[in-house]
Amino acid sequence: MEAPTISNELRNLFSLVLFPGGCFLILLGLSYEWVDRKLLARFQNRIGPRWFQPLADTLKLLAKEEVVPENVDLRLFVGLPIVALTGALTAGLYVPILGVKTAFSFSGDLIVTLYMLSLLTLCMGLAGANTLDRFSLIGATRTLTQLFSYESPFLLALLGPALFSSNWQISEIAASAGGRWLLLTQPIGFLVAIIALMGKLELPPFDAPEAETEIVAGALTEYSGRGLALFRLGKGVELVVGLTLISVLYLGGIADPLTFLIKTMALLFIIVVLQALLTRLRIDQTVGLWWRYGALLVLLQWFVIILL
Amino acid sequence: MEKQTTTHSFIVPIGPQHPALKEPSHFRIAVDGEIVTGASVRLGYAHRGIEKATESRTWIQNLYLLERICGICSHIHGMAYCLAVERLAQVDVPARAQAIRVLFAELERIHSHLLWLGVAAHEAGFDTLFMYSWRDRETVMDILEQLSGNRVNYSANVLGGVKFDVDQLCIESILTGIDFLEERTQYYLKVVSTDALFLQRTRGIGTMSRRQAEVLGTVGPTARASGVDRDIRIEAPYAAYNQFPIQLTLDDKGDLEARVLVRLRELFESYRVIRQILSDLPPGDLTVRMPRRIQQGETVLRVEAPRGELFYFVRSNGSDMPERIKVRTPTICNLLSVVKLAVGHQLADVPMILVGIDPCFSCNDRTVIVDRANETSRQWSWKELRQYGSTYYQQRAT
Repeated sequence: MEAPTISNELRNLFSLVLFPGGCFLILLGLSYEWVDRKLLARFQNRIGPRWFQPLADTLKLLAKEEVVPENVDLRLFVGLPIVALTGALTAGLYVPILGVKTAFSFSGDLIVTLYMLSLLTLCMGLAGANTLDRFSLIGATRTLTQLFSYESPFLLALLGPALFSSNWQISEIAASAGGRWLLLTQPIGFLVAIIALMGKLELPPFDAPEAETEIVAGALTEYSGRGLALFRLGKGVELVVGLTLISVLYLGGIADPLTFLIKTMALLFIIVVLQALLTRLRIDQTVGLWWRYGALLVLLQWFVIILL
Repeated sequence: MEKQTTTHSFIVPIGPQHPALKEPSHFRIAVDGEIVTGASVRLGYAHRGIEKATESRTWIQNLYLLERICGICSHIHGMAYCLAVERLAQVDVPARAQAIRVLFAELERIHSHLLWLGVAAHEAGFDTLFMYSWRDRETVMDILEQLSGNRVNYSANVLGGVKFDVDQLCIESILTGIDFLEERTQYYLKVVSTDALFLQRTRGIGTMSRRQAEVLGTVGPTARASGVDRDIRIEAPYAAYNQFPIQLTLDDKGDLEARVLVRLRELFESYRVIRQILSDLPPGDLTVRMPRRIQQGETVLRVEAPRGELFYFVRSNGSDMPERIKVRTPTICNLLSVVKLAVGHQLADVPMILVGIDPCFSCNDRTVIVDRANETSRQWSWKELRQYGSTYYQQRAT
């Protein structure tokens, strides 16, 4: 740690609030959300939204009245969206967004990042359980059930590269891989990681927690206005952070903005294709998929790594 | 109508306003975790009093009213009414008009089944199939527009015939459209019977045995998917179905997959019949004169709507207005099967099972009072109904 001088403090503040964290990360999240929506729409033979639509949606939601339902814990109701967004943004501080050197880094930051990424889902589950709405309650149950099913495979999949390089620091893992694509040596881990990311973001086919034809909007049914906007922003940020993390660990690291864009967009493309191709899984099918196949396959991968 | 199988437990309300339902209806699904333990249905949110309204309109005015009972199968309602009134008046409609009626009816079936495929895919969370099938459905909508000038309420029927003729230009564009749709239907058939994840949501879900289907009184494709070999077009051919016979489409598995497959296979039968009609379209007039007053009498008429048997009862007292028209739409026959089949399944399957019968709620809302204690039922008179309505709202206001 460097000595806390004024210029250091300013630099830290800058990276927290403006770039690469904070505002920049939020805008990046919105743009990735747009790419996701637009590509999916084109695959489904629709026109899709205009480029500023996610931003417009967010601003509109922020400007709207937030309706607080009866019988909720007000502190939780207001606080959870903030914690969720904060968690996602904090996770963004430890991954090399846009290929620049991370502002903060210490040994073991991979674990912190993974934990921060789970915070969003946890907050959504709590937010759903906080209200008395039946759709929210079922949505919350499903959100948390899904969390327990994909979380450990995701963790195991992302720890594969860490195990490979005997290090828990994201930048060190990338450096020790030295530009080699671990995707080639650990294909199962990569596959599980990217599918688990879809589960984390509750994208189709893992959107049972917010299946609109069954439970309206799931855990977030009672949210409107500011709270909903913050949750949505959090999801956008998490999408970017997750994609970056997988690119760093599996696709041979990120050196500059161009490789960042190419690699994350390629991953996003895979995610969108899967969204367009697959039918929504029931929650029992999701759990079955992860515990029967996902977790076991990753463990198999671990054995191979450890034996070699 | 309300059927009670619900016990005191965690109840998930579906409707009257819910994203899964495009029309108002209220289902109370009792769940234990994700498993459905009971279900009840409440109808009546879109009661429009059409049956009563027909009694104060002339025979011709009623045609336009009855066509608007259903937004999807508008032609079949007009056609059933026309056929019934023509039978009462003992008028023989020209063969060309009957053939064109069947042509419209089959085009309507195509548009209805493709729409249903999209809705079913959407309920299952397979939006890509939803978007594709609705895109292709535009082809048949365009054909209908070209024929009649309208996409939804074609208003092709008049008492005594049809309004629109089919010329050579129309025949060519219909044939091109049908060729395209046949190819697409083949593709969708392949998708719904091979896509592993879609099959996970349909295979073995909501299975209804043939016996159950008969006891619950289901009709149409829902019944045919359970092996009940009934189709009004074959049992009691009406209009031109004698000249252009239909082959029965059956499946005996009775689950959601079978319901999807039966509906898609029925489309091929529709394509075949449309081609046949277009190649041997009988020459002749389109209409025949109808009397303004229909002679006294009553008749029952059944037709096969896209959703199943549609029942019309028409009674005339010799004036220019009907004395009573009773309509029974297919959804009311199929609805009870949902309440029965949903129990034991997961909550996530309920929208799929519901959509499996291709429900159409506004068509079937009606008022019948059933006293469960005395096991009696009676119809309300118009006066009683009005009285009940005004006191109900007065009480609510205070």
